[in-house]
Amino acid sequence: MIVVARRLARLVFVFFVVTFVTFFLLDRAPGDPAERLAGLNATPEVIEGLREELGLNGSLFERYSRWLGNAVTFDFGDSIVTRGFSSWDLIRESLPKTLELMILAEIMAIGIAVPLALASARRPGGLIDKVSSSTAFGLLALPSFVLGIYMSYLFGVRLGWFPTIVDNLPGLNDDPLENLRQMFLPSLTLALNLVGVYLRLLRSDIIETLQQDYVMLAQARGLSERRIMWRHVLRPSSLNFTTAAGLNVAGLIGGAFIIEVLFAINGMGRLVIQSVVLEDFNVVAAVVAILTVAYVLVNFAVDLLYSILDPRIRHGAR
Amino acid sequence: MIRHGRTRLVAVLMSAALAAASCAGSDDADTVDDPPASAAESDDGAADADDPADDTATNDEPDSEPADDQPVPLEDENQTTSAGEGDADTATLEPVAGGEITWGLTNDGTGFNTTGAIAPGSIRVINSMTEPLVALTVDADWAPGLAESITPNDDFTSWTITMRPDLLFHDGEPVDGESVRANLQAFKDSPTVGFALGPVESITTVDELSVEVAMSSPWASFPFQLNGQAGWMVSPSTIGTNETFVSTGPFMLEDWTPGDGARVVRNPNYFRADEGLPYLDAINFKFLVDATVKRQAIESGDVQGYVSPSDEDVVDYLDDDAIDVWIGTAGANEYLWLLNTTVPPFDDIRVRRAMAHATDRDFLIEQFRSNLTTPADGPINSSSQWYTDAGYPGFDPAAAQALVDEYEAEVGPIEFELSIEPNADVIEFSEVMMSFLADVGIDGTIKEIGQGQSAITAIQDDYQAFSWFQFGSPDPDGVYVFFHSSGGVLNWSNLVNSDIDEGLDKGRQSDDPAVRREGYAQYLKGLAEQVPMLWIDHLNGVEAAVTIPELNGIGTPGMLVDGSPSLPMTSGNFFAWTQVWLEQ
Repeated sequence: MIVVARRLARLVFVFFVVTFVTFFLLDRAPGDPAERLAGLNATPEVIEGLREELGLNGSLFERYSRWLGNAVTFDFGDSIVTRGFSSWDLIRESLPKTLELMILAEIMAIGIAVPLALASARRPGGLIDKVSSSTAFGLLALPSFVLGIYMSYLFGVRLGWFPTIVDNLPGLNDDPLENLRQMFLPSLTLALNLVGVYLRLLRSDIIETLQQDYVMLAQARGLSERRIMWRHVLRPSSLNFTTAAGLNVAGLIGGAFIIEVLFAINGMGRLVIQSVVLEDFNVVAAVVAILTVAYVLVNFAVDLLYSILDPRIRHGAR
Repeated sequence: MIRHGRTRLVAVLMSAALAAASCAGSDDADTVDDPPASAAESDDGAADADDPADDTATNDEPDSEPADDQPVPLEDENQTTSAGEGDADTATLEPVAGGEITWGLTNDGTGFNTTGAIAPGSIRVINSMTEPLVALTVDADWAPGLAESITPNDDFTSWTITMRPDLLFHDGEPVDGESVRANLQAFKDSPTVGFALGPVESITTVDELSVEVAMSSPWASFPFQLNGQAGWMVSPSTIGTNETFVSTGPFMLEDWTPGDGARVVRNPNYFRADEGLPYLDAINFKFLVDATVKRQAIESGDVQGYVSPSDEDVVDYLDDDAIDVWIGTAGANEYLWLLNTTVPPFDDIRVRRAMAHATDRDFLIEQFRSNLTTPADGPINSSSQWYTDAGYPGFDPAAAQALVDEYEAEVGPIEFELSIEPNADVIEFSEVMMSFLADVGIDGTIKEIGQGQSAITAIQDDYQAFSWFQFGSPDPDGVYVFFHSSGGVLNWSNLVNSDIDEGLDKGRQSDDPAVRREGYAQYLKGLAEQVPMLWIDHLNGVEAAVTIPELNGIGTPGMLVDGSPSLPMTSGNFFAWTQVWLEQ
């Protein structure tokens, strides 16, 4: 309980720091949103009125406090560029797509990396190990924007198996097949960058675990190799992998931003990029706040997962 | 049937001269059927410093063959269009109703408020949903569009706009005189765009279907303004709203997702529905920010077309049998550097002229535009009937050096700062320009400003020189406020010159082509002498519509309400979506 409370306190602290720094940086950015919104030929009175309406007057701390007070109720202010939409409206539209992209990518990455790692670790130096290791290094070296373009060209343009852009994406509930068809290439592109990391980590940990006495005991007792690998080796070998998966959330968000541009997904990445370009600072601040909370929560969940994966951690605390 | 895979090249021109050359001018400006002779397209006046896209085009010779598929400026003496086989193919096909397409947008839309500055991405979507009061004929003259008639008094100080009966907005509200008055009044009152209707003094409802627009001074080319943003009519209850667009056009807004795109669907109450228009059931406008993504999307068939903002697609796809390229060759915006004539060193005419002499426009066009554009020496394309060679300083490094030496002897070294938006291509272009200037001793540095900050920075006069895309109106009156001293903050370079003012006024107040030509010659003379802008090129040719071969009706003339051919509109802003159709 104390651990949970500490983690939550840390979350609040990180949230304050990140949002304030973001607010500060946006405040120092060139350009005046009110002037921009007022457009050409606007009188000073019009600009001042807009500044008041947008809550741009007052000191930095006053504005930050005001923003923070509203943010806890998900009122992040209106989008300055797309008038008529609140920042939360835009986030609500784009967040599910980014979440789906990240979750699908994680599933694919794990789905590819785990069996490959197990197969590689069983026969280190064998054919599977050599091929998968080489592929992993290749994937690690290949930036996602290059990989995405090649994937799109191969499977979209040349083979025509999947669309090159995500357009009118139906909900998973409405049309799961079409949804997954459209999201397949972007998710796979994002996943392949993770596969290399996961594969290398898992492989080395599994090889180490295979040297443990209890594994040899299991082998001596005649348990099947499959049962040993999946039941007795994989779980204790997953600590580093789990840590990497948690920390990778930030990288995944960054990667998703690129993938969203490459596959024209209206997700959080494109939203924040467009908002920065168009100086829609309310939206930028809102996205940063939400991503910060999400990142800290995911790593909080990873910490909790440790004790489930390895009973020694759970019992070691006593 | 059209042969798929054949590259079609339709070079479409649209400059004022183009229009004037063919419209030959009516002497009777008092009737709707025979509108005042001047050839142009209205300019909505909104500054668009990062999108060289506001052009339209005309096509007088749709069946002529292109000389070849080489990337060279496509224009002819008569301001008409050369066209490829695709045009002839299309002419033999019967349009088919139905189907929907996805159209790539380079710029995201930011809303639909017709009384505000509208982003290029929004304009492209709006163009499918509205029919302006005024249309453009194939000769680039004006003709009634949504309006039934637009009639001036004898001295062009009053215009009466009469609407067609039984017109409905998308929400079922009637399009009557009062709704037109409300729209025009809101536009006129807007601090952002109202300047475009500067001479308008009052707008009053005459009867159920008519309004009278009274001017403070004669304005013979007023109808051209109603072909653009000022002529978009929206349901009165939605005037000033940003998130929706309830108008009168062939398509209705079904959904708009900022950052992603919009979907428009056929308007069953479209006033030309009995002609079977529009043909398409729906258009998905999809925001595709990345050039590679756009190319892969069209090559895979995921989008059916988009407007390319650069020469790369034109050069590549001209030789691609699977993609059609439609090139607008005139009426495009100009690329230029604004020079603030009220601050050193550009308050001295010698420096401004030296810069013009030092810049090799032909070299820049060859290196950066694949020779697709034409050199500019003012805001009027040399193919326009309003153009005269006013003696703009040509490339002459020795003359430039002499002027620089003279200035430096009196004042000192010439240094300046060029404000520019963060666009890598434009920055690279500007750096090469600066190297020309450095050769004669003019030292410039680049100052990056925020995206979309160009207009604000220019208005505030917080600049010395400014990298800029604008104008592009084939009719000189469309850019009146940007050069006339009465333009105030929109007179970007702050130059006050009697030749420019008198010339522009003369051109605005008369419908006599000879008088107008004389006025615009005087205006160009003032610009050429004073060099308030460092002109580079007319961007005709580099902005192309790229489509799949099965998509027809883009870049070819449509049909106006009276059955006459309309201007084929090939810039991103002014496609005649009404008559676009898809081979099934």
